[in-house]
Amino acid sequence: MKDKHITEILDNTSIAMLSESELNEIRVHAMECMSCRDAFEAARLSAVIIKSRVEATIEPSPFFQTRVMAALREQQAVESVPAMLRLWRSAKALVSTMAVTTAALAVVSFIQPSQTTPVIDQTASAYSAYSVIMDQDADDQMSYEQVLSTIYEDDDDVR
Amino acid sequence: MDLDLARQAQAGDESAFAEIVRRYSPRVFSVASRFFRQRPLVEEAAQEVFLKAYTQLGSFEGRGSLEGWLTRIATNTCLNMVRGAKRRPELTVSDLTEDEQGWLEQQSAGDGGEPASVETTVVATDLADRLLSVLSPEDQQTLLMIDGEQASIKEVAEATGWSESKVKVRAFRARRKVREAMEKLLSYKRA
Repeated sequence: MKDKHITEILDNTSIAMLSESELNEIRVHAMECMSCRDAFEAARLSAVIIKSRVEATIEPSPFFQTRVMAALREQQAVESVPAMLRLWRSAKALVSTMAVTTAALAVVSFIQPSQTTPVIDQTASAYSAYSVIMDQDADDQMSYEQVLSTIYEDDDDVR
Repeated sequence: MDLDLARQAQAGDESAFAEIVRRYSPRVFSVASRFFRQRPLVEEAAQEVFLKAYTQLGSFEGRGSLEGWLTRIATNTCLNMVRGAKRRPELTVSDLTEDEQGWLEQQSAGDGGEPASVETTVVATDLADRLLSVLSPEDQQTLLMIDGEQASIKEVAEATGWSESKVKVRAFRARRKVREAMEKLLSYKRA
Protein backbone atom coordinates (compact mmCIF):
# COMPACT_ATOMS: atom_id res chain seq x y z
CA MET A 1 0.00 0.00 0.00
CA LYS A 2 1.51 3.27 -1.05
CA ASP A 3 1.77 6.25 1.25
CA LYS A 4 -0.51 8.29 -0.99
CA HIS A 5 -3.06 5.54 -0.90
CA ILE A 6 -3.28 5.64 2.91
CA THR A 7 -3.84 9.37 3.11
CA GLU A 8 -6.38 9.16 0.30
CA ILE A 9 -8.36 6.57 2.21
CA LEU A 10 -8.16 8.68 5.36
CA ASP A 11 -9.28 11.84 3.58
CA ASN A 12 -11.99 10.17 1.53
CA THR A 13 -13.84 8.41 4.33
CA SER A 14 -14.58 9.00 7.96
CA ILE A 15 -12.57 6.61 10.12
CA ALA A 16 -15.81 5.52 11.76
CA MET A 17 -17.05 4.36 8.36
CA LEU A 18 -14.00 2.24 7.54
CA SER A 19 -14.47 -1.49 7.69
CA GLU A 20 -12.43 -3.60 10.09
CA SER A 21 -10.47 -5.11 7.20
CA GLU A 22 -9.61 -1.64 5.87
CA LEU A 23 -8.51 -0.55 9.33
CA ASN A 24 -6.32 -3.65 9.70
CA GLU A 25 -4.77 -3.01 6.32
CA ILE A 26 -3.98 0.56 7.36
CA ARG A 27 -2.55 -0.55 10.73
CA VAL A 28 -0.28 -3.13 9.12
CA HIS A 29 1.01 -0.57 6.66
CA ALA A 30 1.40 2.08 9.36
CA MET A 31 3.70 -0.20 11.35
CA GLU A 32 6.21 -0.08 8.50
CA CYS A 33 5.69 3.45 7.27
CA MET A 34 6.38 6.35 9.65
CA SER A 35 4.54 9.06 7.68
CA CYS A 36 1.45 6.88 7.26
CA ARG A 37 1.51 6.10 10.97
CA ASP A 38 1.52 9.83 11.78
CA ALA A 39 -1.29 10.46 9.29
CA PHE A 40 -3.37 7.64 10.73
CA GLU A 41 -2.77 8.81 14.30
CA ALA A 42 -3.77 12.37 13.37
CA ALA A 43 -6.92 11.17 11.59
CA ARG A 44 -7.86 8.98 14.55
CA LEU A 45 -7.47 11.81 17.07
CA SER A 46 -9.33 14.23 14.80
CA ALA A 47 -12.22 11.76 14.60
CA VAL A 48 -12.32 11.48 18.41
CA ILE A 49 -12.48 15.23 19.00
CA ILE A 50 -15.00 15.80 16.20
CA LYS A 51 -17.25 13.21 17.83
CA SER A 52 -16.83 15.01 21.18
CA ARG A 53 -17.76 18.30 19.52
CA VAL A 54 -20.95 16.89 18.02
CA GLU A 55 -21.96 15.34 21.33
CA ALA A 56 -21.83 18.75 23.02
CA THR A 57 -25.43 19.50 22.09
CA ILE A 58 -27.51 22.08 23.95
CA GLU A 59 -31.09 21.03 24.69
CA PRO A 60 -33.97 23.50 24.39
CA SER A 61 -35.08 25.03 27.69
CA PRO A 62 -38.71 24.50 28.85
CA PHE A 63 -39.39 28.18 28.15
CA PHE A 64 -38.15 28.16 24.60
CA GLN A 65 -41.57 27.53 23.06
CA THR A 66 -43.06 30.45 25.05
CA ARG A 67 -40.17 32.67 24.00
CA VAL A 68 -40.67 31.90 20.31
CA MET A 69 -44.42 32.43 20.50
CA ALA A 70 -43.90 35.78 22.25
CA ALA A 71 -41.39 36.83 19.61
CA LEU A 72 -43.82 35.78 16.90
CA ARG A 73 -46.64 37.85 18.41
CA GLU A 74 -44.33 40.82 18.72
CA GLN A 75 -43.34 40.45 15.08
CA GLN A 76 -46.97 40.19 14.01
CA ALA A 77 -47.87 43.26 16.05
CA VAL A 78 -45.15 45.23 14.32
CA GLU A 79 -46.27 44.03 10.91
CA SER A 80 -49.96 44.79 11.58
CA VAL A 81 -49.28 48.50 12.15
CA PRO A 82 -49.62 50.51 8.89
CA ALA A 83 -46.36 51.48 7.29
CA MET A 84 -47.01 55.22 7.66
CA LEU A 85 -47.71 54.83 11.36
CA ARG A 86 -44.53 52.77 11.81
CA LEU A 87 -42.64 55.46 9.93
CA TRP A 88 -44.18 58.11 12.15
CA ARG A 89 -43.32 56.14 15.31
CA SER A 90 -39.73 55.76 14.30
CA ALA A 91 -39.45 59.36 13.11
CA LYS A 92 -41.38 60.88 16.03
CA ALA A 93 -38.32 61.78 18.04
CA LEU A 94 -36.63 63.33 15.03
CA VAL A 95 -39.72 65.34 14.08
CA SER A 96 -40.17 66.57 17.68
CA THR A 97 -36.55 67.69 17.79
CA MET A 98 -36.97 69.47 14.47
CA ALA A 99 -40.13 71.22 15.71
CA VAL A 100 -38.41 72.43 18.86
CA THR A 101 -35.44 73.65 16.82
CA THR A 102 -37.75 75.46 14.40
CA ALA A 103 -39.58 77.11 17.29
CA ALA A 104 -36.30 78.18 18.84
CA LEU A 105 -35.15 79.63 15.51
CA ALA A 106 -38.45 81.46 15.17
CA VAL A 107 -38.01 82.99 18.61
CA VAL A 108 -34.50 84.08 17.74
CA SER A 109 -35.61 85.49 14.38
CA PHE A 110 -38.79 87.35 15.41
CA ILE A 111 -38.60 88.12 19.11
CA GLN A 112 -35.00 89.28 19.14
CA PRO A 113 -35.39 91.88 16.35
CA SER A 114 -38.44 93.34 18.15
CA GLN A 115 -36.21 93.87 21.15
CA THR A 116 -33.78 95.85 19.02
CA THR A 117 -36.57 97.88 17.43
CA PRO A 118 -37.01 100.12 20.46
CA VAL A 119 -33.36 100.98 20.22
CA ILE A 120 -33.85 101.97 16.62
CA ASP A 121 -37.03 103.77 17.61
CA GLN A 122 -35.20 105.51 20.32
CA THR A 123 -32.61 106.61 17.83
CA ALA A 124 -35.32 107.57 15.42
CA SER A 125 -37.20 109.41 18.09
CA ALA A 126 -33.97 111.08 19.07
CA TYR A 127 -33.60 112.26 15.51
CA SER A 128 -37.26 113.17 15.46
CA ALA A 129 -36.95 115.09 18.63
CA TYR A 130 -34.00 116.92 17.20
CA SER A 131 -35.80 117.67 13.98
CA VAL A 132 -38.94 118.58 15.84
CA ILE A 133 -36.90 120.91 17.98
CA MET A 134 -35.25 122.29 14.92
CA ASP A 135 -38.56 122.53 13.10
CA GLN A 136 -40.24 123.91 16.11
CA ASP A 137 -37.49 126.48 16.35
CA ALA A 138 -38.03 127.42 12.76
CA ASP A 139 -41.79 127.37 13.00
CA ASP A 140 -42.05 129.06 16.37
CA GLN A 141 -39.36 131.57 15.98
CA MET A 142 -39.44 132.51 12.32
CA SER A 143 -42.23 132.86 9.80
CA TYR A 144 -41.60 132.65 6.08
CA GLU A 145 -41.46 136.43 5.77
CA GLN A 146 -39.11 136.65 8.68
CA VAL A 147 -36.79 134.14 7.06
CA LEU A 148 -36.82 136.14 3.82
CA SER A 149 -36.20 139.43 5.57
CA THR A 150 -33.41 137.85 7.54
CA ILE A 151 -31.80 136.64 4.36
CA TYR A 152 -32.16 139.99 2.67
CA GLU A 153 -30.95 141.76 5.75
CA ASP A 154 -27.87 139.60 5.62
CA ASP A 155 -27.44 140.53 1.97
CA ASP A 156 -27.77 144.20 2.78
CA ASP A 157 -25.20 143.88 5.48
CA VAL A 158 -22.84 142.32 3.01
CA ARG A 159 -23.39 145.14 0.55
CA MET B 1 -49.54 15.22 9.14
CA ASP B 2 -46.63 17.63 8.80
CA LEU B 3 -48.29 19.36 5.89
CA ASP B 4 -51.57 19.71 7.81
CA LEU B 5 -49.73 21.21 10.76
CA ALA B 6 -47.89 23.61 8.48
CA ARG B 7 -51.12 24.67 6.73
CA GLN B 8 -52.90 25.23 10.04
CA ALA B 9 -50.00 27.32 11.32
CA GLN B 10 -49.94 29.26 8.08
CA ALA B 11 -53.68 29.95 8.44
CA GLY B 12 -52.94 31.63 11.76
CA ASP B 13 -53.49 28.73 14.17
CA GLU B 14 -51.05 29.60 16.94
CA SER B 15 -51.37 26.26 18.66
CA ALA B 16 -50.33 24.51 15.45
CA PHE B 17 -47.20 26.59 15.21
CA ALA B 18 -46.49 26.08 18.93
CA GLU B 19 -46.70 22.35 18.27
CA ILE B 20 -44.18 22.68 15.43
CA VAL B 21 -41.82 24.53 17.79
CA ARG B 22 -42.29 21.96 20.53
CA ARG B 23 -41.82 19.01 18.22
CA TYR B 24 -38.82 20.22 16.24
CA SER B 25 -36.89 22.47 18.62
CA PRO B 26 -34.59 19.58 19.69
CA ARG B 27 -33.57 19.11 16.06
CA VAL B 28 -33.08 22.86 15.48
CA PHE B 29 -31.05 23.11 18.69
CA SER B 30 -28.93 20.18 17.58
CA VAL B 31 -28.11 21.98 14.32
CA ALA B 32 -27.44 25.31 16.07
CA SER B 33 -25.21 23.55 18.63
CA ARG B 34 -22.88 22.52 15.82
CA PHE B 35 -22.29 26.20 15.14
CA PHE B 36 -22.38 27.70 18.64
CA ARG B 37 -21.26 26.55 22.06
CA GLN B 38 -22.99 29.16 24.27
CA ARG B 39 -26.66 28.63 25.13
CA PRO B 40 -27.75 32.27 24.46
CA LEU B 41 -26.36 32.09 20.92
CA VAL B 42 -27.94 28.70 20.28
CA GLU B 43 -31.32 29.96 21.54
CA GLU B 44 -31.07 33.14 19.50
CA ALA B 45 -30.28 31.15 16.37
CA ALA B 46 -33.09 28.66 17.04
CA GLN B 47 -35.60 31.47 17.57
CA GLU B 48 -34.50 33.10 14.34
CA VAL B 49 -34.98 29.77 12.56
CA PHE B 50 -38.59 29.40 13.77
CA LEU B 51 -39.49 33.00 12.97
CA LYS B 52 -38.07 32.54 9.49
CA ALA B 53 -39.89 29.23 9.15
CA TYR B 54 -43.19 30.89 10.09
CA THR B 55 -42.88 33.47 7.34
CA GLN B 56 -41.90 30.76 4.83
CA LEU B 57 -44.54 28.18 5.75
CA GLY B 58 -46.20 28.71 2.39
CA SER B 59 -43.12 27.36 0.63
CA PHE B 60 -43.33 24.02 2.48
CA GLU B 61 -45.02 21.72 0.01
CA GLY B 62 -44.87 18.56 2.07
CA ARG B 63 -42.68 16.69 -0.40
CA GLY B 64 -40.05 16.11 2.27
CA SER B 65 -40.41 16.06 6.03
CA LEU B 66 -41.00 19.20 8.05
CA GLU B 67 -37.93 18.24 10.08
CA GLY B 68 -35.78 18.16 6.94
CA TRP B 69 -37.21 21.50 5.81
CA LEU B 70 -36.48 23.06 9.21
CA THR B 71 -32.99 21.53 9.26
CA ARG B 72 -32.26 23.26 6.00
CA ILE B 73 -33.52 26.61 7.27
CA ALA B 74 -31.52 26.09 10.48
CA THR B 75 -28.32 25.21 8.63
CA ASN B 76 -28.56 28.19 6.29
CA THR B 77 -29.57 30.61 9.06
CA CYS B 78 -26.64 29.53 11.25
CA LEU B 79 -24.23 29.60 8.31
CA ASN B 80 -25.29 33.18 7.63
CA MET B 81 -24.74 34.03 11.28
CA VAL B 82 -21.21 32.62 11.42
CA ARG B 83 -20.09 33.76 7.96
CA GLY B 84 -17.38 36.33 8.34
CA ALA B 85 -16.12 34.73 11.52
CA LYS B 86 -12.36 34.89 11.66
CA ARG B 87 -10.52 31.84 10.40
CA ARG B 88 -7.19 30.72 11.74
CA PRO B 89 -4.64 30.36 8.95
CA GLU B 90 -2.69 27.85 11.04
CA LEU B 91 -2.89 26.22 14.43
CA THR B 92 0.26 25.78 16.49
CA VAL B 93 0.80 23.99 19.77
CA SER B 94 1.36 27.34 21.50
CA ASP B 95 -2.30 28.15 20.76
CA LEU B 96 -3.38 25.24 22.94
CA THR B 97 -4.01 25.36 26.66
CA GLU B 98 -2.10 23.06 29.01
CA ASP B 99 -5.19 20.88 29.38
CA GLU B 100 -5.50 20.55 25.63
CA GLN B 101 -1.85 19.65 25.26
CA GLY B 102 -2.23 17.14 28.07
CA TRP B 103 -5.28 15.64 26.38
CA LEU B 104 -3.36 15.23 23.12
CA GLU B 105 -0.46 13.56 24.92
CA GLN B 106 -2.75 11.26 26.80
CA GLN B 107 -4.69 10.30 23.71
CA SER B 108 -1.69 9.75 21.48
CA ALA B 109 0.01 7.65 24.16
CA GLY B 110 -3.12 5.68 25.00
CA ASP B 111 -5.07 3.10 23.12
CA GLY B 112 -7.39 5.62 21.47
CA GLY B 113 -10.24 5.16 23.89
CA GLU B 114 -12.91 7.87 24.07
CA PRO B 115 -12.58 10.71 26.60
CA ALA B 116 -13.97 9.42 29.86
CA SER B 117 -14.81 12.28 32.21
CA VAL B 118 -16.84 15.46 31.73
CA GLU B 119 -13.63 17.50 32.07
CA THR B 120 -11.82 15.63 29.32
CA THR B 121 -14.88 15.89 27.11
CA VAL B 122 -14.89 19.67 27.57
CA VAL B 123 -11.18 19.80 26.74
CA ALA B 124 -11.75 17.67 23.64
CA THR B 125 -14.63 19.93 22.58
CA ASP B 126 -12.48 23.04 23.03
CA LEU B 127 -9.73 21.39 21.04
CA ALA B 128 -12.23 20.50 18.33
CA ASP B 129 -13.27 24.16 18.06
CA ARG B 130 -9.64 25.22 17.71
CA LEU B 131 -8.93 22.57 15.14
CA LEU B 132 -12.07 23.33 13.15
CA SER B 133 -11.25 27.03 13.13
CA VAL B 134 -8.78 26.37 10.30
CA LEU B 135 -11.79 25.56 8.10
CA SER B 136 -14.48 27.71 6.52
CA PRO B 137 -17.89 27.50 8.27
CA GLU B 138 -19.23 25.45 5.35
CA ASP B 139 -16.38 22.91 5.54
CA GLN B 140 -16.73 22.73 9.32
CA GLN B 141 -20.41 21.83 9.04
CA THR B 142 -19.79 19.25 6.37
CA LEU B 143 -17.19 17.53 8.52
CA LEU B 144 -19.25 17.69 11.70
CA MET B 145 -22.29 16.26 9.96
CA ILE B 146 -20.52 13.47 8.09
CA ASP B 147 -17.77 12.46 10.50
CA GLY B 148 -19.49 13.54 13.70
CA GLU B 149 -23.13 12.68 13.12
CA GLN B 150 -22.48 10.00 10.49
CA ALA B 151 -24.80 11.77 8.07
CA SER B 152 -24.71 10.61 4.47
CA ILE B 153 -23.56 12.80 1.59
CA LYS B 154 -27.18 12.96 0.43
CA GLU B 155 -28.41 14.09 3.84
CA VAL B 156 -25.83 16.87 3.97
CA ALA B 157 -26.76 17.92 0.44
CA GLU B 158 -30.42 18.10 1.45
CA ALA B 159 -29.68 20.03 4.64
CA THR B 160 -27.50 22.59 2.94
CA GLY B 161 -28.89 22.79 -0.57
CA TRP B 162 -25.48 21.99 -2.08
CA SER B 163 -24.93 19.37 -4.74
CA GLU B 164 -23.67 15.95 -3.61
CA SER B 165 -20.39 16.41 -5.48
CA LYS B 166 -19.86 19.71 -3.68
CA VAL B 167 -20.45 18.03 -0.34
CA LYS B 168 -17.94 15.29 -1.25
CA VAL B 169 -15.31 17.85 -2.19
CA ARG B 170 -15.92 19.83 1.00
CA ALA B 171 -15.72 16.72 3.17
CA PHE B 172 -12.49 15.54 1.52
CA ARG B 173 -10.90 18.98 1.80
CA ALA B 174 -12.01 19.47 5.40
CA ARG B 175 -10.80 16.05 6.51
CA ARG B 176 -7.41 16.58 4.91
CA LYS B 177 -6.98 20.05 6.41
CA VAL B 178 -7.93 18.90 9.89
CA ARG B 179 -5.71 15.83 9.66
CA GLU B 180 -2.76 17.93 8.51
CA ALA B 181 -3.35 20.46 11.29
CA MET B 182 -3.47 17.65 13.83
CA GLU B 183 -0.32 16.06 12.37
CA LYS B 184 1.43 19.38 12.79
CA LEU B 185 0.34 19.64 16.42
CA LEU B 186 1.51 16.12 17.13
CA SER B 187 4.87 16.74 15.45
CA TYR B 188 5.34 19.89 17.61
CA LYS B 189 4.62 17.80 20.68
CA ARG B 190 7.13 15.16 19.65
CA ALA B 191 9.79 17.81 18.91
